[in-house]
Amino acid sequence: MKIKNLATRIAVTLIAVVTVFTGISFGSHAEDLPYDTYNYDYRENIVKTPAAYVPAGSVTGLSSGAGDFKEPEDMCIAPDGKLYVADTGNNRIVVLSENLRDCVKIIDSFEMNGEKQTFGAPKGVCVSQNNQLYIADSNNRRIVVLELDGSFVKIVDNPQSEILEDGFDFVPLKVTVDYADRVYVIVKNAFEGILVFESTGEFTGYYGTIEVKISVWEKFWRRLASKEERAKQQLFIPTEFTGIDVDDDGFIYASNLDSDGIQGVRRLNPQGKDVIQKGENGNVGGDLTIGKYGDYGGPSEFTDVVYRGKGIYSCLDKKRGRIFTYDKEGNLLYVFGGLGTQEGTFVKPVAIECVGSNILVMDSLHNSVMIFEETRYGNLINTAVGLRYDGDETQAIQLWQEVLELDENNELANTGIGKAYLTAGDNKMAMHYLELGMNRNYYSIAYKRYRNEILAENLNWIMTLVIVLIVVWIVYKKFFRSKVKKLIAAKKDEKKNKMVKGGHN
Amino acid sequence: MKKYFTKEKWSYAFRTISHPADTYYWIRHQERGSVPIAFIFVFLFSISFSINRISASFVVNDVDPLTVNTLTELISVLLLFILFCISNWSITCLMEGEGRLKDIVTAVGYALVPMIVTFNIGTIFSQFVAQNEGAFYWMIIGVGIAYSVFLALIGIMQMHNYTLGKTLLVILLTFVAMFIIIFVILLFVDLINQVICFFYSIYQELIFRG
Repeated sequence: MKIKNLATRIAVTLIAVVTVFTGISFGSHAEDLPYDTYNYDYRENIVKTPAAYVPAGSVTGLSSGAGDFKEPEDMCIAPDGKLYVADTGNNRIVVLSENLRDCVKIIDSFEMNGEKQTFGAPKGVCVSQNNQLYIADSNNRRIVVLELDGSFVKIVDNPQSEILEDGFDFVPLKVTVDYADRVYVIVKNAFEGILVFESTGEFTGYYGTIEVKISVWEKFWRRLASKEERAKQQLFIPTEFTGIDVDDDGFIYASNLDSDGIQGVRRLNPQGKDVIQKGENGNVGGDLTIGKYGDYGGPSEFTDVVYRGKGIYSCLDKKRGRIFTYDKEGNLLYVFGGLGTQEGTFVKPVAIECVGSNILVMDSLHNSVMIFEETRYGNLINTAVGLRYDGDETQAIQLWQEVLELDENNELANTGIGKAYLTAGDNKMAMHYLELGMNRNYYSIAYKRYRNEILAENLNWIMTLVIVLIVVWIVYKKFFRSKVKKLIAAKKDEKKNKMVKGGHN
Repeated sequence: MKKYFTKEKWSYAFRTISHPADTYYWIRHQERGSVPIAFIFVFLFSISFSINRISASFVVNDVDPLTVNTLTELISVLLLFILFCISNWSITCLMEGEGRLKDIVTAVGYALVPMIVTFNIGTIFSQFVAQNEGAFYWMIIGVGIAYSVFLALIGIMQMHNYTLGKTLLVILLTFVAMFIIIFVILLFVDLINQVICFFYSIYQELIFRG
C-alpha cells in the first residue's frame, strides 16, 4: 500500500516537473506557433509580443484543382477578390476563387491577331483597377495585357529610348499598374530603376533610381589605385528593386535589397522621389539586431512589399522568412513568420499579398500560398493605427488599452494613449503614458502644459510668499540689522575678554 | 588621520574654485592639500556621474538605466584617475616638473569639484525641462566639464611650475604615457598567462603519465 502511494506521488511530481521544464501550457496560442513573434523597443532590444498573425492553412495547386504549381513567382488580388497566381514553371496564370479554395480559371494562352500565343515563364502578374490583367511574360521579353476573361488587349514591349543602352535586354520580372494605367516594371539587371510605360505602351523613363553610396574610405582606396586596378575592382552599382506595389494615391511601394539593413522599402511619389517616413530609429529595413555571418546572418532582404491600406504596409524578408509590418510613420508594428517546413513557415518566400484582413505569402519551393489570419492582438493594432491614420486618435484609446492588456510594454500603445490624454487635456496621465512610450516630443508638450497648470494654480501663494519675504528683509534691514550687529560684536568682545582672563590663569 | 581633514584643508579644497592659481601654489609649497580629500572628490564625482546617467530626466538622457553599473563606473573612474596621475608623474619627472605624486593627485582631484556640483545640479534641473529647453541642461553640464578641465590645467601648471605651453605638451604626453602603460600591462598579463599555461601543461603531462 505504502509503496503504491509513493509511486503515485513520484509520478505526479515527475509530470509536474516535466510540465514546468518543457513549458507545455494549455490553451495558449503563441506556444504552438512555429515562429517567433517580437518587436523592437526604443532601445532596440527584442521584445517578445503576442502573435499578430497566425497560420490558417495553405493553398496548393493540387488542393485548388488546377494541378500542382511549379515555382510560382508572383500573385495579385484582383478588385473582385480573386487571386491571380503567376505559375511560372507551368507557363500559365491560375485564377483562384475569393475563398482561395477552388481554381476558377487557368490562362495559359491568348489569341493575338488570330494567332495563338503562349507564355514563357511569366514571373509577374498584376490586375489593374480597371480590371485588366498585366502579365510580365519574362522569357518572351514582353508584358501582355489581357481582359479578365482572357481576351487580348495589347502588348507592351521593346522600350525605345536614348537612355537605354544598345542591346538592352527587356526581361520583366515584376509589374504593377496605377490608377491611370501607367505600367511600372522591374526589369532584370536594370539597376537604374523601375521602367515606366504610359498607358499607350510608350516608354517614358526610369523611375525611383537608387543612388549609389560610396564611403570616404572606398573613395580613398580608389584614389590610390591605378587605372588597371580600378578596372578590376568591383563596380559600384545600385541595388535592385525586388518587389512592387501601388497604393490608393498612386504612390509606388518598392522593396529593394539594402546591404546596410536600413532601408529595405521605398515609397516613390509620381516624380520617382522616395518619400517614405522613417520612425524614431530611422529604420525601415527589417531586423535591427542581427548576426553577421552565416546563412542566417546579415540584414533582412526584402523580396516583396504589399500596401494594406491606411498607411500600413508589410514587407517579406526572404533571408529569415519574416514579415515586417510598418505604419505610415515608419513604426514597426509587428513581426511574424519564419523559415522552416512547418505550416506557417517558408522555404523560399517570394511574394506577399493581402486580402481583407488576411495576409498571403507565396512559397516558390513549397509551390503553395500560405494564409495568415489576424489575431485579436493584430486586429487591435491594425484598427488603432487605422484610426490614427484617419485622425481619430481619441477613439483609438480604447483599442490601445486592450493592446496593453495583451502586451503591457507596447510602446506604440502607450504613445497612442498618451496622445489621446494630451488631446483630452489630462496632462499628467499623458506624461505618464508618453514616458512609457519613450516619446520625447509629445512628452515635452505634455510636460510644458502640466508645468503651466501647476504654476497657474499656485501663483497666488508663491507671489504672496515672495512679497512677504521682501517686506521682512526691508524691515530687518531698517530696524534690526544694526542692533543685531552690535549684539554680535558684544558677544565677540566677551569671548575675547574671557580668553584673556583664562590666559592669565 | 586627523591632520588630513582639518578645517584649513577643507577650506583650501574649495578655494581652488575661486582662486585656482593662488590656491594651487600654496597647496604645493605649504602643504595645504590633502590626498584623502582628493580621493573623496574622485569618489563623489563617480557617484554623481552615475546618478546623472541613471536619473537625469529621459527628455535629455538617452542612457538605458539598466546598463549603468555604479560599482564598475566607480572602479573605472578610480583606475583612470590613478593611471592619469601616474602617467603625469612619470612624464613630469623627466621634464623638470616640481610636483610630487601627491601634489598631482591633489591637483587633479580638487579639479573635479565643479563637475560634481554641476552634474548634480543638472540631474535635478533635468527633471524640470522640456525637450527644447534641454540646451540649458547641456550648458550646465558643459560649463562644469570646461571649468574642471581648466582647473586641472591650472593645477598641473602650478604644481610643476610650468608655462602654459609646456603644460599642454605635458598633458598630451601624459595621454601617450597612459597608452604605453596600458599596453605594457596587457603585454605583461598576456606573458604571465602564457607562463602559467606552460607550467600548467607540464603539470598535466606529469599527472597523466604518472
